Amino acid sequence: MSKNSRTRASLYGTATVATLALGLTACGGGSDGGSASAGTWDKNATVNIGSLYEPQNLDNTAGGGQGVTEALNGNVYEGLFKLTDDGKVEKLLAQNHEVSKDGLTYTFTLRDGVKFHSGKELTSADVKYSLEKVLAKDSQSARKSNLEVVKDIATPDAKTVKVTLSKKSISFVYNLSYVWIINSEAENLKTTEDGTGPYKLAKWTRGSALSLDRFAGYWGDAAANKKAVYHYYKDASALNNALLTNAVDVVTSEQSPDALEQFKSNKNYKVNDGDSTTKLLLAFNDKAKPFTDVKVRQAVSAAIDDKKLLESVWGGYGKLIGSMVPPTDPWYEDLTDVNAYDVTKAKKLLDEAGYAKGFSFTLDTPNYDPHPTAATFIKSQLAKVGITVKINTITPDEWYTKVYKNRDFTATLQEHVNDRDLVWYGNPDFYWGYDDKQVTQWVEQAEEASTTEEQTELLKKVNRKTAEDAASDWLYLYPQIVVASSKLSGYPLNGLNSQFYAYDIKKKG
Amino acid sequence: MTLPAAPLKETEPSKETTPVSRRRRSATLLAGCSLTALIALLALVSLVWLPFDTDDTSGGRLAGPGDGHLLGTDKLGRDLLTQLMTGARIAVQAGLGSVAIAALVGVTLGVLAAFAQGWLDDTLAAFLDILIAFPTLLLAMLVVAARSATLGSAILAIGLAQSAVVARLVRILVKRVLARDYITAARTSGTSWPRTVAAHILPNIWPTLVVNLALQFGLAVLAEAGLSYLGLGAPPPNASWGRMLQEAQATFTTAPAGALAPGILLVVLVVGVNLVADGLRDTLDPATRRRRT
Amino acid sequence: MGRYLLRRLAFLLVSLALASVVLFVLLRLLPGDPANALTSVGASPEQIAAARHSIGSDRPLPEQFTHWLGQLTSGDLGTSFVSSLPVGPEVTARLNVTVPLTLAAFVLAVLVAVPVGFVAAYKRRTWYGAVLSGISQLGIAVPVFWLGMILIAVFALNAGWLPSGGFPQDGWDAPAEAVRSLVLPVVTIALVMGASLIRYVRSATLDVLGSDYLRTARALGASFPRAMWRHGLRNASVPVISILGIELASTLLGAVVVESVYALPGLGSLLATGIAQHDYPVVQGVLFVSTLAVLLIGFAADLVQRIIDPRLRGRLSGGAR
Repeated sequence: MSKNSRTRASLYGTATVATLALGLTACGGGSDGGSASAGTWDKNATVNIGSLYEPQNLDNTAGGGQGVTEALNGNVYEGLFKLTDDGKVEKLLAQNHEVSKDGLTYTFTLRDGVKFHSGKELTSADVKYSLEKVLAKDSQSARKSNLEVVKDIATPDAKTVKVTLSKKSISFVYNLSYVWIINSEAENLKTTEDGTGPYKLAKWTRGSALSLDRFAGYWGDAAANKKAVYHYYKDASALNNALLTNAVDVVTSEQSPDALEQFKSNKNYKVNDGDSTTKLLLAFNDKAKPFTDVKVRQAVSAAIDDKKLLESVWGGYGKLIGSMVPPTDPWYEDLTDVNAYDVTKAKKLLDEAGYAKGFSFTLDTPNYDPHPTAATFIKSQLAKVGITVKINTITPDEWYTKVYKNRDFTATLQEHVNDRDLVWYGNPDFYWGYDDKQVTQWVEQAEEASTTEEQTELLKKVNRKTAEDAASDWLYLYPQIVVASSKLSGYPLNGLNSQFYAYDIKKKG
Repeated sequence: MTLPAAPLKETEPSKETTPVSRRRRSATLLAGCSLTALIALLALVSLVWLPFDTDDTSGGRLAGPGDGHLLGTDKLGRDLLTQLMTGARIAVQAGLGSVAIAALVGVTLGVLAAFAQGWLDDTLAAFLDILIAFPTLLLAMLVVAARSATLGSAILAIGLAQSAVVARLVRILVKRVLARDYITAARTSGTSWPRTVAAHILPNIWPTLVVNLALQFGLAVLAEAGLSYLGLGAPPPNASWGRMLQEAQATFTTAPAGALAPGILLVVLVVGVNLVADGLRDTLDPATRRRRT
Repeated sequence: MGRYLLRRLAFLLVSLALASVVLFVLLRLLPGDPANALTSVGASPEQIAAARHSIGSDRPLPEQFTHWLGQLTSGDLGTSFVSSLPVGPEVTARLNVTVPLTLAAFVLAVLVAVPVGFVAAYKRRTWYGAVLSGISQLGIAVPVFWLGMILIAVFALNAGWLPSGGFPQDGWDAPAEAVRSLVLPVVTIALVMGASLIRYVRSATLDVLGSDYLRTARALGASFPRAMWRHGLRNASVPVISILGIELASTLLGAVVVESVYALPGLGSLLATGIAQHDYPVVQGVLFVSTLAVLLIGFAADLVQRIIDPRLRGRLSGGAR
């Protein structure tokens, strides 16, 4: 779940950003599959995928991190449901599902003829085991808290699973798309696997590569390539060099615009600008002075020219946002006008808050791009309204301890990767300490809503309220850039929540 | 190891004549001083004047020379010359700071170790050998893990790592001096050992020591650049040359200025300091003076 | 010699044991939580506690230490906190990259530096002697990562002759690929290492050229090559070998910068990741193995020096004292 380990600082990339999610359908933008060049393609090709995010281990309930989602989700492991690249939830291992009238009982019928890589047939016991693994005491799953509404899991027969919830949860099925169905008899899941996906793990060489082989016994359409190899790099330059020298065919996610020029001007490559859900936040500690005062937060938000910042970090890429919600979330509204760049207004707000002469605060800044750049920019912008920023550069590990665990900060910069993560503002215990009873209530009601319309309506209210309160300052939305050899087609463009399905990738011979 | 056959037919080299070697010596020293002074000047000027503000990103991404930007801009639109000048300051700071630590800790340890006898002596010597074999980097990683990546951490780590090298050298030098008769005389006549160190030992070892510290300065500058390259040195937005090179790596082919200039300045500084060390060695070191002139 | 070997071996074991204990304590004194690598933003306090429990970092230090020691005595370096992979095989895998890289660079550097350093000293008053000295002067001033960047740009990106980085996943089972991927890194290290070796060889040769015994040997009628071979080489090589030992040992871990430039999965990068993630078993494993290597290399250098120069016999360690 981490998009933190980004550039040079990846030596220290450990802190992770997760999400809480709501709702069943998401109207995503972008279409499945890049570079639709048809023609002959090699069914037995090896696709080399370059990435900066190596799994820490192979278990997504034991701190595998963002890398394990990228490499294994959908490729090696499958859930009852899957989240498509454009954000839709589709049935996968579930043939069917029924919800009781009170919304508390879900009955899933499993697909027939599904086999694990070890050869064992999928049964309801495996589903029960997999769900319990996420809910276990030692589970590090980012979905654990969302799924804690599960009260009981029954397996009336080998193909049926009946889950009872303690209260309604409209995003239950969405959350299930993150639960890998694992053979209940499998062992050593941190270093090996036993899933049902179109690939089985061939070999993981830590620090270097992870290769997947097409699984002959797959229940569905076979993968469009014979072998998918994820090559891991710690450094974006090394990764781009690998693409330039054809050592890899595709880069899952470019983290700076620096190298893009040379790919854009070369017909052997295709640069795809997809939809991202990653937001760069100037997160205030809403429980620490002076950011307890709404006016101070609004003033800071209004004093920073986000457009100029985005331009200097990303060149022509990326989008401006006025709140935590990216355009691909169902409850998106364009709120860029709220607390927009306006120095005069910022000064006036500061005056009203009693800080006419400004103040000074420390900005805890993760030591990898774009944070230091953004921090420098913010420092020079806020100087114009009399606010002095002290930049304190820290490693992701320090960030996690100091900011996330100890809440020992005044303001910080952080990227939040996932979709539908607005709902964190409903949790007063979250690190930024935003505490609004009304918002908390709306978020709870939205989760217990009966229809998605009702849920969307409530979350729109949350969106507007947090934006007006300047709960944080949302600086910009990252672009999601996949660069690939023009021989390739069928690769994911949006890499939603770090997923990267390899099975549709076709390589011309 | 084999000997090259060809160049061995000449007669044995005669001793260099004094005027020639003296001229060459001063040439070395002069060249070294000029190169070092060039960088020192950049660093000093950066304290009082810079072409642009260090945080000024108004220049446009990776612009070429022009618009007041003598060397163009970096990927954030900051003036390259400004960055290079503040980088010079950081490089000089790193060199001086590390050498100061290395001198202080190294000389103290080395002198103490030199006075040790028997198994303690052997153990200390072996311990220093082991420490030297572990690279600065490892120490730097540990220091950074303990107290975060800052220029101070990098300097501390480099300085400590170099202390081992200096201590090892000082130990050998002091032992050599201790073996001389007048020291034995001084010690038997009841002179306290701190006094012995101050009056007899330090004056005897300082020429070699100074030369070595000058070499350590160059190594420290390189080490800081390496650490910054790995993200373990001065944190961004500080313009360490090592970090500038790391950042310019992605645009090496499209905007080579940013990937070449910091490297060239690094080489200039380190070559300069090494030449100074060579020049000093020939001027100061009594051993080489005796032998080669 | 037998007694010497015994003492040396005892010394080696004691050093190794001491280093391991110091390291164990030192690592635990570092601030930071090893469980951080396993938890994520959104983790509850219970999840954080569970992570600590799963890796055993919540147990008292003495207990952790005896556990680790127990494993070590049975030849087991433990299991990574983060990946749950056994440390031993992982260190071995990294050594498969780092040892060939270091040794090849070392051999190349020595092969170049010894003749060049000799010529630079012997012909120091000719123009090419000066040029050679100048080149080595430049070589020791070049940052190794910058040299790497330039070599990649020229030979990988422009010419396309060699890969820009990485190591085949099949390792040495794909020998051609493996060799190709190590060419540029080897050259990078060798150039920088060679430059500083040239200077050592040059000054050692200068010392010998100006020495009395060489003059004596010549006066007694030995030809220059013969005098040099019998007396000069022996005397010049003693200090150089000690330097070589240190260079070789420190390159094992010091190659991390080059490994980083060329994206090689070597020992140094494993250590860097380990320290950053507070993955103590990995850090301890790497440092244990490299301390052992350092001690063994020092031992070997010492032994070679003794064989070359009988005057050194009777001392416990290094000839470079």
